[in-house]
Amino acid sequence: MPHIVNCEVLTHRELAPGQFRVALQGPAIASEAKAGQFGMIEVARGYYPFLRRPMCFERILADAFTVLYKLEGEGTRLLSAFLPGQMISVQGPLGNGFPIESNLTRHIIVAGGIGVATFPGLAEALIKVCDTAPEVVLAARTKDLLLCEQDFREMGCKVHLATDDGSAGEKAYASQVLERLSPAPGTRVYACGPMIMMRETSRVALEAGAECLVSLEAQMACGDGVCLGCVVESKHESEGERMIRVCCDGPVFDARMVDWEAHNFAYDP
Amino acid sequence: MPGWLTGKPTISPMTPDLSINLGGLAMKNPVMVASGTFGYGQEYDRYFDISKLGAVCTKSLSLNVRAGNKPPRLVETPAGLLNAIGLQNVGIDAYLREKAPYLRKKGVTIVANIYGHAPDEYVELARRLEAEGAADAIEANLSCPNVHNAKLATGPSMVSQVPEQVAEYTTSIRSATKLPLFIKLTPNVVNICEPALAAQEGGANGVALINTLLGMAIDTETRRPKLANIVGGLSGPAIRPVAVKMVWDAARVLKIPIIGMGGICIAADAIEFLLAGASSVAVGSMSFRQPDASLRVVEGVEAYLRQHGIPTVSDLVGAIRV
Ligand SMILES: Cc1cc2nc3c(=O)[nH]c(=O)nc-3n(C[C@H](O)[C@H](O)[C@H](O)COP(=O)(O)OP(=O)(O)OC[C@H]3O[C@@H](n4cnc5c(N)ncnc54)[C@H](O)[C@@H]3O)c2cc1C
Ligand SMILES: Cc1cc2nc3c(=O)[nH]c(=O)nc-3n(C[C@H](O)[C@H](O)[C@H](O)COP(=O)(O)O)c2cc1C
Ligand code: FES
Repeated sequence: MPHIVNCEVLTHRELAPGQFRVALQGPAIASEAKAGQFGMIEVARGYYPFLRRPMCFERILADAFTVLYKLEGEGTRLLSAFLPGQMISVQGPLGNGFPIESNLTRHIIVAGGIGVATFPGLAEALIKVCDTAPEVVLAARTKDLLLCEQDFREMGCKVHLATDDGSAGEKAYASQVLERLSPAPGTRVYACGPMIMMRETSRVALEAGAECLVSLEAQMACGDGVCLGCVVESKHESEGERMIRVCCDGPVFDARMVDWEAHNFAYDP
Repeated sequence: MPGWLTGKPTISPMTPDLSINLGGLAMKNPVMVASGTFGYGQEYDRYFDISKLGAVCTKSLSLNVRAGNKPPRLVETPAGLLNAIGLQNVGIDAYLREKAPYLRKKGVTIVANIYGHAPDEYVELARRLEAEGAADAIEANLSCPNVHNAKLATGPSMVSQVPEQVAEYTTSIRSATKLPLFIKLTPNVVNICEPALAAQEGGANGVALINTLLGMAIDTETRRPKLANIVGGLSGPAIRPVAVKMVWDAARVLKIPIIGMGGICIAADAIEFLLAGASSVAVGSMSFRQPDASLRVVEGVEAYLRQHGIPTVSDLVGAIRV
């Protein structure tokens, strides 16, 4: 069940220009949170910005959790100004999170840009339950935007890097790297990043007979199933099921459920 | 900060009377939640006891399930948000089957908000809600900016922009139900008094002011509108002064009570609406940020009454000093 908790900022560090990690003390949230879930963070005291900001839990500890984020606009700018010792209101845990199943032969994480923020916790959970470290494809526009490489390596994950400009790892898209890793039936691919990257990644995975889970993003007001603002179109035909809410039906969906044809990529953030 | 702003009660021997009678609807306090910002109640019952509210207003219900508009449907703007949900809702059958029983069990006072394409659809909705005991009052949404009304010209147009239509719809729904009937009006008009008076003449027991203000936002990089629907409805603190003014305008000509809403976040905001002439208030978009904002408003209004030695909340209605 979600809670609204005033969390103390434990540490707050800029990892690379415009990319931050904040650790928040919040036992009520941390004790219930699962990898892939998120919190709604109140960044402003006043009304600009008015809404909370959705942020995934990067890692979940016994009584605290971390969030990895990149500067985007006013909300993340205000967030970046919080100092250790200050309190910040978080609503969570929200969303469904990743299912963790041990009966699959191979797990491949495909992260695009800041989409990586949801995966360190998933890797930890997979290691705990399945006893094998997932493989990780880390992709970003350029070298500076590749996050968590060291974290995954320390967990024992095999990491494949890719950048659009070739400044680190392969000059390739995440989906192309995945293709070369030859996913097959029995493989589960987990993707998070820009919508277009998730579409391509899921196409590669599904064509190879693998499973694919995607963690979607959408503009949110409530984060909790009420406002109906965060929907994406699903392949369900019926009027009542066509729109799926990213916040509470997801954010993690079976890629086969998402109607990629109907999605208008021109509007993506 | 004074107690009435923070919601922390200051000690006073008198217990103020918060209860009201809103056009025939008995409410334990004047605070409800606005349609579309509180789901069907159950969602936010996880955060606080929703039966402590004066009433819960449901998402607009239609005869059939509606998927709503294409995404993106939401964009944040300064001190508020634009939405173009397009009345996605579970439909009346699922409401009666799955949503109303929960609210009844909780002892919630239910205002069922309804939406239809024509008067006969509103009539059927009101009849079924009354027959099944699934509402204590009806709020007819004649003001959704996000669905096209074929009867009117082009663009987003709303029944309540035309006073004659307000009268026609209100009269029809009135004849179909004995439940208290509130008409929800759009602020996108030249003179709010005209549709408000039309609702009164049609037999409404109250009007709900205001629905969202039409607006739009454009992405300057892509040159695209930020909403797939191009335009949407603006809500949140950004619209509060407009809403207060409309309530004040309408209160001076109406005999029936007003449910005031538009950007209410804390008790002081609600009191502003009461002073302007609203008998009841609804917390809308603020619930997205703070699910229990409405309960804090109830507590804050009570604290204000204590602090100012005002015996009943009705004493505040229209008590602006001009
Ligand atoms: C479930 C979920 C989990 C997320 N987890 C993370 C995370 O772990 N780390 C991280 O850096 N970002 C994450 N995001 C994206 C993050 O919420 C946005 O980057 C952030 O809200 C931007 O706010 P802003 O005020 O700085 O930017 P602005 O661009 O000024 O924001 C304007 C509005 O757009 C919304 N918005 C902007 N970008 C996005 C986006 N990409 N997705 C959704 N809404 C957006 C904002 O919430 C705000 O309402 C997540 C989004 C979702 C939906
Ligand atoms: C996301 C959203 C959905 C809404 N849905 C409805 C609706 O279904 N029916 C309705 O009558 N009003 C609807 N409204 C309007 C609100 O009930 C209210 O009139 C308006 O938001 C102004 O109040 P606020 O500024 O406090 O939000 C909706 C508003 C928002 C923000
Ligand atoms: S963000 Fe409100 S329903 Fe998903």
